Amino acid sequence: MSAAPDLPVVDAEEIRGLLEDYYARGWTDGLPVMPVTESVLAGFLAQTSRDPDEVLLDMPHLDRACTVRLAAINAAMAGCRPEYFPVVVAAWSALKAEGYVPRAIWQSTTGTASILLVNGPIRERIGLNSRSNVFGSGFRANATIGRAIRLTAINAFGLRPGELDQGTQGNPAKYSACIAENEEESPWPPFHVEHGFEPQASTVTAMTMRSVAHIEARHTQVPEQLALDIAGTVARTGALIHETISACIALGPEHAALFSRAGWGKDDVRRFVYEHAVNSRAALAAVGKDAVSGKTRWRLSSAHAESVPDSTADHDAVKVLNSERAVEIIVAGAHNAGVSAVIETFGPRGGPPAIAPIESS
Amino acid sequence: MLEQAGVPAVSLCTDAFVVPARAMADVLGHPGFEFVTIPHPIASLTPAEIEATVQQVVSDVVRILTKP
Repeated sequence: MSAAPDLPVVDAEEIRGLLEDYYARGWTDGLPVMPVTESVLAGFLAQTSRDPDEVLLDMPHLDRACTVRLAAINAAMAGCRPEYFPVVVAAWSALKAEGYVPRAIWQSTTGTASILLVNGPIRERIGLNSRSNVFGSGFRANATIGRAIRLTAINAFGLRPGELDQGTQGNPAKYSACIAENEEESPWPPFHVEHGFEPQASTVTAMTMRSVAHIEARHTQVPEQLALDIAGTVARTGALIHETISACIALGPEHAALFSRAGWGKDDVRRFVYEHAVNSRAALAAVGKDAVSGKTRWRLSSAHAESVPDSTADHDAVKVLNSERAVEIIVAGAHNAGVSAVIETFGPRGGPPAIAPIESS
Repeated sequence: MLEQAGVPAVSLCTDAFVVPARAMADVLGHPGFEFVTIPHPIASLTPAEIEATVQQVVSDVVRILTKP
């Protein structure tokens, strides 16, 4: 027999009892949470210059708000290390700027979650994954920063499934969704630099996400073929609740390199996808989405009493994006296969993305 | 909110939303708020089906609106 490993001596029953108490109080997302004491909380609050009582985001319709203190408690419960907390604080700023969360999107039957994108040197400092399994598991910083947002939704805003969260199906990102851009293997400037930040700044971008749909394209070196494959995924009719949609294309490094070798910049990819993410009028009619409601502007059949023509009624090729700016492009994942993904972001967008700087210690 | 402003009001929701509706009423300080519930779904119904649903609940709507 080998010697007992050098493990701390603890009373497992006592720890499990504590975790069970957190479950019984309804304070978890279904997974165990880390215990928090005043001293633990103080360690998190020491990582930011913000006042503990400062409101980071409020939901007026619920008369509830997330303060720095509540964000810190939930970040600690989510398993964050204290040095992750400035990322969480910036995430709340980005979520507020993004605008859907204060307007109750987390309660909607739509079942969206917020996905966070981190840029800049903080990625390396705290070990945020931007490469293999970027949407997957295995990295504490990614897992717990995303989870900190969800636990706050549950514990500070009371958005429990089936009660104040009416998500019909929800989506897996409701556990946690925080990725980093693979800046090192991108042929283009990082996302935050594209939007006016210094390369040495670190930022969080918040997006409201429906689904992540992957594009398998290992077979081609032709940029137009790859871009059409992506555009076809963006254009799927099932995503169309509003007249148009928006998307963040997470190119794998191999696909980004393919475009770059062909002389395409991000704007070339964006323009191509905007122009080719289309459905024919007949294809929309076949699924009963060839017009919009005169009241809600949601898509429905032109045979419906409430229908009015959509804003491109005179076109047979109906664009699903309202502008080139409705598609963002990032680089994420491992440089090991021709795989990319469309993050379907909710709402008919086109404005600048919601990016918040991370306070540096 | 309309009732707080002195306007008689009634809330209709489909049976799928009874739990969230009660939770929302609690949050807004009106536990036990009375809803008229109708069968789910609504969004895909024809005008004739909507009319039939309305006929089922119109007396409840009037009862709540005229409740002292």
